Amino acid sequence: MQSSQKRNPLKRILTVRGAGQVITVTIGLIVLCAVFALLNPNFTSQRNLNNLMRQIAPFLIVGIAQSYVLITGNIDLSIGSVLGMSCMISATLMTRGMDPWLASAITLISCLAVGILNGVLVINCKLPPFIATLGTMTIARGIAQIVNNNMNTDAIGDGAMAFRDFFYYGKFLGIYSTVYIAIVLWLVFNFILSKTRTGSHIYAVGSNLEAAKLSGVNISKVVIKAYMVSAFCSGVAGLITCATGGLGTMDAGLSYELYAVAASVIGGVSTLGGQGILLGTIVGASVWGVMQNGLSLAGAPVALRNIIIGVIVVISVLADVIVRSGKRPRRIRDAVAEAVAAKQ
Amino acid sequence: MQEYLVELQGVSKSFPGVQALDHVQLNLQAGEVLALLGENGAGKSTLMKILSGIYPKDEGVTRVYGNAVENMTPQKARELGIAIIHQELNMCQHLTVAENIFLGREIVRGGRLARREMNAAAGEVLRHLNIDIDPETIVGDLQLSKQQMVEIAKALSTNAKVLIMDEPTSALTAKEINDLFTIIRKLRAEGHGIIYISHRLEELQYIADRVTILRDGQYITTMNYRDTSLREIISYMVGREIKEKFPRVDCEPGDVIFEVKNLNAGRLVRDINLSVRQGEIVGIAGLMGAGRTETTRAIFGVDPKVSGEIWLRGQHVNIRRPEDSIRAGIVLVPEDRKRDGLCVKLSIKDNIALPNLDILCNRLTVVNRRKKGTMTDQTVHDLRIKLPNADVDAASLSGGNQQKVVVGKWLARHSKMVLFDEPTRGIDVAAKVEIYNLMNELKRQGIGVLFVSSEMPEILGISDRIVVMCDGRITGELPIGEATQEKIMDLATRFESKINHATA
Repeated sequence: MQSSQKRNPLKRILTVRGAGQVITVTIGLIVLCAVFALLNPNFTSQRNLNNLMRQIAPFLIVGIAQSYVLITGNIDLSIGSVLGMSCMISATLMTRGMDPWLASAITLISCLAVGILNGVLVINCKLPPFIATLGTMTIARGIAQIVNNNMNTDAIGDGAMAFRDFFYYGKFLGIYSTVYIAIVLWLVFNFILSKTRTGSHIYAVGSNLEAAKLSGVNISKVVIKAYMVSAFCSGVAGLITCATGGLGTMDAGLSYELYAVAASVIGGVSTLGGQGILLGTIVGASVWGVMQNGLSLAGAPVALRNIIIGVIVVISVLADVIVRSGKRPRRIRDAVAEAVAAKQ
Repeated sequence: MQEYLVELQGVSKSFPGVQALDHVQLNLQAGEVLALLGENGAGKSTLMKILSGIYPKDEGVTRVYGNAVENMTPQKARELGIAIIHQELNMCQHLTVAENIFLGREIVRGGRLARREMNAAAGEVLRHLNIDIDPETIVGDLQLSKQQMVEIAKALSTNAKVLIMDEPTSALTAKEINDLFTIIRKLRAEGHGIIYISHRLEELQYIADRVTILRDGQYITTMNYRDTSLREIISYMVGREIKEKFPRVDCEPGDVIFEVKNLNAGRLVRDINLSVRQGEIVGIAGLMGAGRTETTRAIFGVDPKVSGEIWLRGQHVNIRRPEDSIRAGIVLVPEDRKRDGLCVKLSIKDNIALPNLDILCNRLTVVNRRKKGTMTDQTVHDLRIKLPNADVDAASLSGGNQQKVVVGKWLARHSKMVLFDEPTRGIDVAAKVEIYNLMNELKRQGIGVLFVSSEMPEILGISDRIVVMCDGRITGELPIGEATQEKIMDLATRFESKINHATA
């Protein structure tokens, strides 16, 4: 009796949380890589692939950040500024002689505070997320500027070599440490999102806030948690930026919140909430990184690169919209089929 | 003294400016279906929201299993075994059936969700109810009726003893309603208490044991269903007797004013031919998914036509977009008022003006506010729309008055042909009669009326001629004198496969 509704398990996996788009975009990514490899053989060199992965890592980290918030049906515009704030706070503390690890811990805690503020403004004060995080975006950027008296910091010095290796320059098994950091973050947050109660509630809140509330889900806790994950990841990305340059720059992470939206959306995360998986975010971030890397290897000027990448974002979302609108007739057909069954 | 599952006494609740409930009482026994009746705004939903802890009450006592409960919250209500199935389905469309059923009380083993366990448990509940749904299906892929079943399963999986159903059948087809009633009877036999809210009074005969009636936030009476009649119930609900549920106006049918010839638009609109004469209301009957809504949408130009012609008063009209149709004077009052008919966040005035801005604007497209005000006043007066003032949000009106605003915005531009799609869905008895009167008035003025309805009594009560659709085709036409429910049902289920069998 269960059989009539039972569907092909593969098809079911594809429809769950918009996983279908991950496959199409992965195919797109492979095609993209093939094209770049043909345009410039250096694209597939060991050295470039290594750099490419390190280039993708920060996009993936902020992508995870934005995906969490998008799946709850909100948006976080403060990601780039929190990244900048993290970069400036950690660098300032280190140039004043603080132990790099303690400085990193303090930095991440201050980032989490911004995340909590975002969550409270959105879910408790009921501000539209666009406005609330636009405000905190400006505030966080202001903090980034004020911590070192409106100047970029000096070099964080030799004492921070271990810190710089840990976040950027170190290699293990031939792969840069940044890549490992991104992978660890992804594993942890993917586990939370797909396997735990908190993850389930994040989807539920994004899918139907009212239903989640009436089912006894503590919606404010869920939304605040999502914004905290976002701020934490942005903070880590800020530490990576600091380690990369070896100093704090005030405009670090400028427009990263939008790159994060792009990575999420290309990977199939819906901006309307309730839909998307972090596997998609990997693919989305990779598309973004591959475009940047491949186009520059192919010698495309920056302006052209931006235009092409922008077009890719629009097309990938458009494809999703078209696929989804194509679904509707099928439901009507189902209704007819059932009416026929009822009659016979 | 009888033991009650739930007892409400002297419950009052006021919202700013409105006394929603005034010392209302209600009680529910185990193993019965209590129908809670009243017009829109009578306070049924408010009372149920108080019982399930969504709203706090101002005054009164709630007793569950004989014990007084203070400060009810949704959480507490659930622990006590009270579950509510809301009118607007409250499901997470993106999640699976099992995830929805266990939302808020997921089973966790060692920090991880025990998906397999939840799927099995959800399957168990569904099987118990004889509902054939795979617990791993995404809820958004299910039909409305199935989603409703999932809501019931969700409620029961919490071991609810008291089940509140708010308008559960408003979006279901006849067959689906039957399935729902089977489940309700099964639950009743198992000793659950069910509070059932519905506007479709004819349903009560199949399930109701007792009825409690509210009017304007006041408790009116409670009766055994066996000892009463629909007529009596209605008179209690509206506070006066409604003489005619379906008022009829007889006009001499004149010339054909509206004609659809060989209309094709996708699978659900195939070779449609129909006509409406002056002074005539034509009803389109059929099952859900028969293509009735699609036909009206294709005529109006919302969905593209593959082929076919529309004629209005002897003139061929070329309709490619709704603008073409509106300009010609053919207008649509859509099925879902709140989604397709009104801009609910705009004022009544703005809603009425919206399709008529071409009339209201001067050559520089500046809106003439005086004309706009006059048009609104005229419409409100003509259609007897009840509203505090024309600047309130459309969302704040009752269903019946919202429907009048939708009709009103079209009549303000002297339309010649009005298509109604389910004009009385979710509207209470008295307001329905007003909508019927309005349709009759249009007919008397010589405006063509074509309406789609899933309610048999309404189709039979209002139409002068009935067109029946099935599976995207017109399967028959009945003058009102010859139409019966059986004949309509027969035509509505003439599926093509069956016809082929018959001829083969």
